[in-house]
Amino acid sequence: MTADESALRELRSSVREFLEDKSPEEAVRKLMESEPRFDPAVWAQAADQLRLPGLALPEEYGGDGFGMVELGVVLEESGRALWCAPLFATVVLAAQALLAAGDAAACAQHLPGIAAGRTTATLAVAEDSGSWDPAMVSARAVPAGNGRWKLRGRKSFVVDGTTADLILVVARTVAGPSLFAVDRMATGLTAEPMETLDATRAMARLTFDAVPATLVGAEGAGGRIMARVLDTASTGLAAEQAGGARRCLETSVDHARVRHQFGRPIGSFQAVKHKCADMLVQVELAEAASREAARLADDESEGFPVASAVAHACCSRAYMVAAMENIQVHGGIGFTWEHPAHLYFRRAKSSQLLFGGPAVYHERLLDRLGI
Amino acid sequence: MRQDMQDFAAEVRRFLDAHVAKTPDRTALTWGEGDDSMAYFSSLPPEEEREQVRRAREWQRIRHENGFGWITGPQEYGGRGLTPVHDLLYDAIESEYDVADTGVLGVVGLGMIGPTILAHAQSPVKDRWLPAMYRGDAIACQLFSEPGAGSDLASVATRAVRGSGGEWVLNGQKVWTSVAQHSQIGLALTRTNPEAPKHRGITAFLVPMDAPGVEVRPLRQMTGGADFNEVFLTDVRVPDDHRLGEVDGGWTVALTTLMNERATVGSEGAGPVAAALSPDRLSALMRATWTWDDRALRARLAELLVDALATEHLNARALRKLRSGVSPGAEMSVSKLMYGQNLTRAAHFVTDALGPRAIADTGQWGTYAWTELLLATPALRILGGTEEIMKNILAERVLGLPKEPATTAAKEVRP
Ligand SMILES: Cc1cc2nc3c(=O)[nH]c(=O)nc-3n(C[C@H](O)[C@H](O)[C@H](O)COP(=O)(O)OP(=O)(O)OC[C@H]3O[C@@H](n4cnc5c(N)ncnc54)[C@H](O)[C@@H]3O)c2cc1C
Repeated sequence: MTADESALRELRSSVREFLEDKSPEEAVRKLMESEPRFDPAVWAQAADQLRLPGLALPEEYGGDGFGMVELGVVLEESGRALWCAPLFATVVLAAQALLAAGDAAACAQHLPGIAAGRTTATLAVAEDSGSWDPAMVSARAVPAGNGRWKLRGRKSFVVDGTTADLILVVARTVAGPSLFAVDRMATGLTAEPMETLDATRAMARLTFDAVPATLVGAEGAGGRIMARVLDTASTGLAAEQAGGARRCLETSVDHARVRHQFGRPIGSFQAVKHKCADMLVQVELAEAASREAARLADDESEGFPVASAVAHACCSRAYMVAAMENIQVHGGIGFTWEHPAHLYFRRAKSSQLLFGGPAVYHERLLDRLGI
Repeated sequence: MRQDMQDFAAEVRRFLDAHVAKTPDRTALTWGEGDDSMAYFSSLPPEEEREQVRRAREWQRIRHENGFGWITGPQEYGGRGLTPVHDLLYDAIESEYDVADTGVLGVVGLGMIGPTILAHAQSPVKDRWLPAMYRGDAIACQLFSEPGAGSDLASVATRAVRGSGGEWVLNGQKVWTSVAQHSQIGLALTRTNPEAPKHRGITAFLVPMDAPGVEVRPLRQMTGGADFNEVFLTDVRVPDDHRLGEVDGGWTVALTTLMNERATVGSEGAGPVAAALSPDRLSALMRATWTWDDRALRARLAELLVDALATEHLNARALRKLRSGVSPGAEMSVSKLMYGQNLTRAAHFVTDALGPRAIADTGQWGTYAWTELLLATPALRILGGTEEIMKNILAERVLGLPKEPATTAAKEVRP
C-alpha cells in the first residue's frame, strides 16, 4: 500500500505536531541523561495514537502495511526532532531483520507485539571493531538440543541494548553467520550501557554467557539476511539524516536573517549566504536520494541496493556538512552546551559512522554497482 | 503513466524507428571500441563543422515535419501544443536513438530564445521567425553579455536610439556569444534610457544577423576551438516591430530567457556527458589504467558516483513534480550547480587515474581524449550564471536570505 502525496503530507504534519508536543528540546535533554533513554508513556502514545511502530509492517502481523516511503516520512521527522525513542532499533533494525529472514513463525511470534508498541527490539551485529559485516562476527552459537541454541560472545554498539525486550543477534555456527532471537530476561545475558558521542541514541555492550536462543531463518543465512537488512536500515537511517540536515539548514537560515553584525543581517554577507546555499544543495540531494531509495524499496526494484548505498553515503555527508556549518553560522553561541547545535553535530557524526563510516559505505556502493 | 502519454510514447517510437537507428547499448561497453571522443564543445575543422550544422538542421526539419519539432509550441506557429512532460518524454525516448546532435540549434535558440520570442515579440516577428526556427531554417543566438556586463547583466551598455524613420539604431559590443557564427537572428539587450535605474532602461530587440553593421569575430576558447564570438554592432538598423516587450521594459524579457537558460543547461544528459558519469565506463577505465585497486581513487570514484546518482534522483523528482502539475522548487538550480561540479570532478578523477597519459597523447583509445572534457569543465561553472550567482539565487529566492546592499553600478553608465 502506498499513500499519495497529500496523505504523506498529512502523515508528516501529524508526526511533526506530535513530536513538537512530546519531544521538544527540553524533553530531549532530559531523556538523554536518564535511563531508559526514552519515555515509555510517549512511546505508547506514538503506538496508540499514531500507530507508528506498525506503520510499515505487513497487515498479517498486525501492522498497517505501508512501506519505506511512509516510514521514511516518520524517520525524517524523528531525526529532525532528535526524538529519543526505540523507533530506529525496533522498527528499522529488528523488524526489518525479522522480515528479511523470511521466517514466518518468528514474524508471527514477534511482529504483532512490535506493531502494537508492546515489544521493543534491537539488532546486535557489530562487536568491538564496530563492523556490521557478518563475516567479521566472532560470537558463536552451538546447538543445545530440541532445536534450541546457546550463545557465547560479546556484542557492542547495540542500539537500545539495555532496554530492548527482544534482541536479534548475528552469531556464527558451523554453517556460517546466522540470526538468533534472544529474550532480554534470558539467563546469562548482561547488558551495560556504553558512553556515546550522541547521547540521544543509547548503545550498549552485551555479553552472552551460554544464553538460550532461537534460530531465526535458515542456519547460515546471516550474510544474505544482513545484506538485505543493511540496504533497508541504511535507507531508514538516511531518512533520519535528511530530516536532521533539513533542520540544521532551517535553524541557520533563521539565525542568518535576524543576527546583525556591521549593521546588516549576517545573511546578507555572501560568505554566509553561500554557506547556506551549499547546505541547501546538500539537503536537496539528501532528500532526493533517501526518498528515491525508499520508493525503489517499496517497488521491489532491482535498483534498490544501489539507491540505498547512494542514499546512505549522500545523507551521511549532507547531515555532517549541515551540522558543522550550522555551528559556524551561529558563531560562539553555536558552540555552547545550551544551544542545540551540538546535539545535531553529535547525531550527524555518530550516524555517519554507525554502519562503518565512509570507507565502508563507499566500498558498499562500488560493490552494489559491480565495481 | 496515463493513456495519452502511452499513446504519445508509442507515436514517438514509431517515428524514430522509421527514421533512425538505435544507439548501441551503453551497458555493452567494450573498452577500446567505438568513438572515444569526450568533446563537450566542438573543435572541428570548419568544413566538418558546417557539415554538422547541416545535419542538425536536417534532423530538426524531419522532426518538424513529423510533429516533434516544437512539442510545447502553439499550433499556429508550427508547434504541437502539448505539455513540457510530453517534451521530456520525447527527449528521454530520443536519447535511445542515434540522432544528429542538434545542440547548435537547440540549447540557445529553441531552448531559450524561442520561448522568449513567443512570450514577448510582436506578431510580424513571431510569424516570420518562430516557424523558421523550429523548422531548422533559422539559428538564434543570445546577445546578452558584454565586456562590462556579465554576471551584472543589467549593466549592458550597447545603445539603441530611435532613428528618424522610427526604426532603432544599435551601437555596441557583445561578447561570449555562442553559435553567433551560424545564426540568422540574435536577441540583444540594449540600453535605451541611461537616466533610469539600470534594470529599467533596457530594451530587447531581435537583430537579423545579416543586417549591415553586424560583425561576428570568433573567440578562441581554452579548448582550442571557437564556439563563441565577439559581436560588434555598428549603426545596425532594426525596425520597431523587432522590439520585444516595452521600450525600457527589456529586463522582463531577459528574465524569461534566463529562466529557460537555467532549465536548459543541466538537462543535457547524452553524449560524452553520460559517458563521463557512467559507472561502467569509469570502472572499465580503472581496469584499463591498472588503478582498480587504488584505494584513494576508489574512494573518489564512490564520492563522484554518489553525487552523480543523487543528482539523477533529484532530476527524477523534479520530473515527477512536473508530471503531477507541481512546479519544481530548488531542484533546477541545484541540478545546474551539480551538473558543472559532477563533470568537473569526473574529468579530474579520470585524468588523475590516467596519470601521464593525460599529458601527452600515446594514441591509446579512451585516454588522452578525456582532456577534451577536462578543458571544457571550467566553462560549466561559468556559463548560464556562475556558481556564485546561482548560490546567490538559491540563498535569496529559495531560502529568503536578505539581498546584498545596493551598489551604485547603475550610475556608471554614461549618457
Ligand atoms: C562557454 C560560454 C558560453 C557562453 N555563451 C553565452 C551566450 O551565448 N550569450 C551570452 O550572452 N553570454 C554567454 N556567455 C557568458 C556568460 O553568461 C558569462 O560569462 C557569465 O554570466 C559570467 O560573466 P563574466 O564572464 O562577465 O564574469 P564576471 O561577471 O566578471 O565574473 C567573474 C567572477 O566574479 C564572480 N562574481 C561576479 N559577480 C558576483 C556577485 N554578485 N557575487 C559573487 N561573485 C560574483 C563570478 O562568479 C566570477 O567568479 C557564455 C560564457 C561561456 C563561458
